[in-house]
Amino acid sequence: MDILRAPVVGSFLRWRYARPAVQLVLLLVSLAVVLHGLFGPQLAPRNLATVLTSIHWRGFLVIAIVAVGNLFCTACPMVLARDVGRKFFHPALRWPRRLRGKWLGLALLVAVLFSYELFDLWSQPRATALLVLGYFGVAFVIDTVFAGASFCKHLCPIGQFNFVASTMSPAELRIVDRETCRSCKTSDCIKGHYGPAEAGHYEQKQRGCELGLFLPMKVGNLDCTLCLDCVHACPHDNIALTTRIPGEELLERGRRSGLGRLMLRPDLAALAIVFTFAALVSAFAMTTPAYAVEQRIAASIGARSEGPVLAVIFIVGLFVAPAVLLGAAGLVTRGLTPSATSLRATVLSYAYALIPIGLGIWVAHYGFHLLTGALTIVPVVQSAVVDAFGRALLGGPAWGWVGFQPGAVFPMQLGCVVLGAAGSLGMVHAVSQRDQPSRPLLVSVPWLAVVLVIATVALWILTQPMEMRAVSFPG
Amino acid sequence: MRLEPRAQHRVLTALRLRSGQAALVFVCSVLCLAGCDRTDPADAVRVSWTLDPSPPRAGTPIVARLTLRDAAQQPLTGVHLRLEGLMSHPGMASVSAAVVERGNGEYEAPLQFTMAGDWILLVTGELPGGEQIKKQIEIAGVRPAP
Repeated sequence: MDILRAPVVGSFLRWRYARPAVQLVLLLVSLAVVLHGLFGPQLAPRNLATVLTSIHWRGFLVIAIVAVGNLFCTACPMVLARDVGRKFFHPALRWPRRLRGKWLGLALLVAVLFSYELFDLWSQPRATALLVLGYFGVAFVIDTVFAGASFCKHLCPIGQFNFVASTMSPAELRIVDRETCRSCKTSDCIKGHYGPAEAGHYEQKQRGCELGLFLPMKVGNLDCTLCLDCVHACPHDNIALTTRIPGEELLERGRRSGLGRLMLRPDLAALAIVFTFAALVSAFAMTTPAYAVEQRIAASIGARSEGPVLAVIFIVGLFVAPAVLLGAAGLVTRGLTPSATSLRATVLSYAYALIPIGLGIWVAHYGFHLLTGALTIVPVVQSAVVDAFGRALLGGPAWGWVGFQPGAVFPMQLGCVVLGAAGSLGMVHAVSQRDQPSRPLLVSVPWLAVVLVIATVALWILTQPMEMRAVSFPG
Repeated sequence: MRLEPRAQHRVLTALRLRSGQAALVFVCSVLCLAGCDRTDPADAVRVSWTLDPSPPRAGTPIVARLTLRDAAQQPLTGVHLRLEGLMSHPGMASVSAAVVERGNGEYEAPLQFTMAGDWILLVTGELPGGEQIKKQIEIAGVRPAP
């Protein structure tokens, strides 16, 4: 099914200004977040900055990815800001070759997750507003200095998260007819479309893919911001937003445009692994046992502040535990296989199979906050209107509006983790069938065990009492 | 009026610079204003508090005792108070309590925290003279239900 040819939705998406329109909406929301964060009440549950980012934005982001695709990159207001900036500052440099790849973006993703826990950003409206401003500023500077979508492709930590998660999305931009692409002489989908300007010069009328994805060789959603530039640029109307089997792209071994072969990209595999284990660490951080673990670590290393304690948790959770688990599984797999593939190659092959369970945990976590706090936006907006205009134009704040009871959400959380685990188990078996067709089940065993361990830990975390902290450190 | 191309270019460049400068001034102003503080009329009111039992546990009824004093340390009586408990994390249900005056500037409110973690008690009220007061009390580390 081609969503671009569906009535109403398709017509809207094919409209040239569809993306700026949704970006403008999110830009206005960002402006409200910044203004209320800076000038509104510094009480997290009563401020748009903290409520919208911690409850609604994160929840809708993962749900959109599961339901359709990387829609929040589509609507990214930072790209709109930099597009305006590029009318005044023309980027002349290309992103340095040595900094390409996902290592930098991965480091920033870990830094953002770590900072979120360390500085308790969910409880700090002003800090959240400044972070949003800072994010806009960095994106603006990077993309007005470096050409293309350098920030999106190489740096943006949210983008890297979205790229990995959207491999499980049910929709993808791909070409309709391969022969049409073979006969195409202009490659507008990547170069952009040029037309005559003043004084006999040519100027770009429509940009092509700024992330370097050449549509005839594009596979899947990795690095795709779903900006639809390729759709608007293609003179043959040969690009579709089609439905597909989520995760199927991760089994593709061939070379893909803008990325190369997944099996030769340790940075992408590391991103998939961190994506999965960060889901556990992030969910664990808000439970009662985490409080006890922090106390023990603080006592054993003599820490008097939260930084070193959190650093230990992050190092163990994001690096030591995955290295031990995946390393052990890789060694067992090597022992079971007649062909002598290296440990690194084995781990790279199976690392991507963890993405479904990782996404399941993220959806369970962020979905919990969204569903239990969905309606809190109503009184906060009402209160913000009172703050801004001095009158209750939308009525007095209905502080009783909250959302589902946590107990009602729990079965949905279980479903997310179980579905994610099922997806990962299926992916593991598919990888084994691809790489070891003679004995796929036997070779799968250690990796099935890894998935089951992750799922068990996730289910244990979900059953723990929540303990939301922001002002206290147990050390 | 039609400008020559060079003049047009100069005007456009100036406009671009000015809009860039204006944006910079706007951002700086926003950041500066964010650092400003306003004098709170409730600053003259001192609120001290205790919780019984302490530390509190989620799901267990507790009593919050508030003592209100003015700047001269004299008890403040006849204050209409409201007490609301909010989690430090957004999106969670708040709890509210009726506040009863016990005399000599002391007030009591029965309360029950619904979840472990950090809470903020929001004390709002009206002094006999009509002045509004608003105080935030941070309750760190409400323990999980037994």
